[in-house]
Amino acid sequence: MKEFVLKGRGALKGIAEGEAVVCPDSIAGNSGALGDTDGVIYERGNVNYGVCINGKILVVPCAKGSNGFSAHFKGAQIAGVTPAGWVATRMDARLGVAVASMGIPCVADFPEDQNPLDKIKTGDWVKIDGTTGEIIVKSKK
Amino acid sequence: MVRLTPYEQQMLDGKMGAFKQKALEFIVRYAEVLGAEELCEISRATCFIGAQHYLDCYPDDKDYEEIFSEFYLSSDETVPFGTTAPRCKAQTCAACCDIEDHEKTHLPEEFVKKNRRFLEATKKMGISIVDSCTPYYCGWVPMMGEHFVTTESSNVVISNTIYGACGNSDGVEAAVCAAISGRIPKWGMHVPENRFGTCLFHLDFEVHTQMEWDLLGFTLGRLLPKHEVPIIENGLYNIEINNMRQLCAALSVTSAAEICHIVGHTPEARTLEDALGGKEPKYVIHVTERDMQESLAMICDKGSGPVDFVSIGCPHISLDEIQAIASYVKGKHLPAGTELQIWTDYAVKSLATLNGYTKIIEETGASVLTGSCPIVMKEESHKHAKSMVLFGSKQAFGIRHQSSATVYYGEVKRCIDAAYKGRWEEA
Repeated sequence: MKEFVLKGRGALKGIAEGEAVVCPDSIAGNSGALGDTDGVIYERGNVNYGVCINGKILVVPCAKGSNGFSAHFKGAQIAGVTPAGWVATRMDARLGVAVASMGIPCVADFPEDQNPLDKIKTGDWVKIDGTTGEIIVKSKK
Repeated sequence: MVRLTPYEQQMLDGKMGAFKQKALEFIVRYAEVLGAEELCEISRATCFIGAQHYLDCYPDDKDYEEIFSEFYLSSDETVPFGTTAPRCKAQTCAACCDIEDHEKTHLPEEFVKKNRRFLEATKKMGISIVDSCTPYYCGWVPMMGEHFVTTESSNVVISNTIYGACGNSDGVEAAVCAAISGRIPKWGMHVPENRFGTCLFHLDFEVHTQMEWDLLGFTLGRLLPKHEVPIIENGLYNIEINNMRQLCAALSVTSAAEICHIVGHTPEARTLEDALGGKEPKYVIHVTERDMQESLAMICDKGSGPVDFVSIGCPHISLDEIQAIASYVKGKHLPAGTELQIWTDYAVKSLATLNGYTKIIEETGASVLTGSCPIVMKEESHKHAKSMVLFGSKQAFGIRHQSSATVYYGEVKRCIDAAYKGRWEEA
């Protein structure tokens, strides 16, 4: 067990923790890529195909695909399936709307030498502080 | 902290009513998430609304005013409907179904009625029913420097690239709140220095046909490093809006690009130096035919076989393309058990009908449908299909998230040939 800290910009305040789901190529915003009511990733080719986002800390480079990105996550949230928080290498508009709409903590815009995609592995336990921008990673290895 | 003008502060304080107050609250929160310091005024918006499937989280009998408040305004309390910003021209984006048909699209009649009910409610706010993912075919012509929001990802790229207008790939809730408040964070593509190209693509081949344009967009999106702005330096032939539409749509499937400069052809790329803003490119990428073949393998299944479902029109096609299809299919007949859907919007279909093209196409057994597509209608509309042929790549690739059917993809005439033969032949 190894513990380390990364520091980005607090994008939406609040503290959240959970198991990391790392999506190096993000999650497509296109209809059907995320289950609208079950929050399961159905995007073909996604390394986390079949994974439910509920309670997870989603680690992404940014958003991707359709501008419907935020709406599919919001729909799943209203259906009761929601990630605990977001960690994004860099904020973009699609992701920004999802974060603002869902109101869950988010840390984004990391320095180049602290890219969370390089540092965090799926299954690591991650605690994020959306106010200070600090994230604590408890790595399994 | 976001700086607001006195007018914006009054709106946030509720002086223009709770509807606009809630909408601006969302826009301000969105600005804070982005790290934006101020807002800008928008003059046009397309909104991906109606009974869209992201609302499947609600029971069928849920009041739309309650849904609207919770989903789009992110409000804990239900706010009575108001109106959109007076200086913002607002219209609907692609819809979840054809506005009238339910039989040809295999959807429950009640679903089509619910969609119409929702759209009539938003029409009263000021959001016209247009139901198009190619609004530039029916009046969406932003000026250079004009600020817009649109929920159609390909229209973001088109409007930034071709018109030099300014907009980000925000999302559904932001587009609705922007249409109501007339404001969006001044961030990303709304700021001139963020629009310069950073990744230069050099093509090792020539791009002529519509499928090649489409496949190129898909390929460039795959190769584009995250967060970079693409420039295409060479290789493009037959530069016109329908080809550009395919490129921009496909680029938006595999990347988060919001603008795509084409040297010598788009207004912010009159020269390469112009596109780069006087800087050196961060990346120079040579695109090969092999890259294109890899993309094709991701989109089109191998082999030959019978097909029972063919759809053309992603994004929605233009009048001249419908004219060409009518001319090509005149006198043919679809085999039993095979359906051919041609997707456009209401404005274009009206013109196609006026010119007799709709009749020619529908006499063959095909359908000219409006406002939606198989992906946005989701599984209910295509779950019966065993083997599909789809154009373009946004549809052919995206449907794979929803279906396990065989999916073929190729030039439009080849897709149409497959419909009338009831069979796809491998090239």
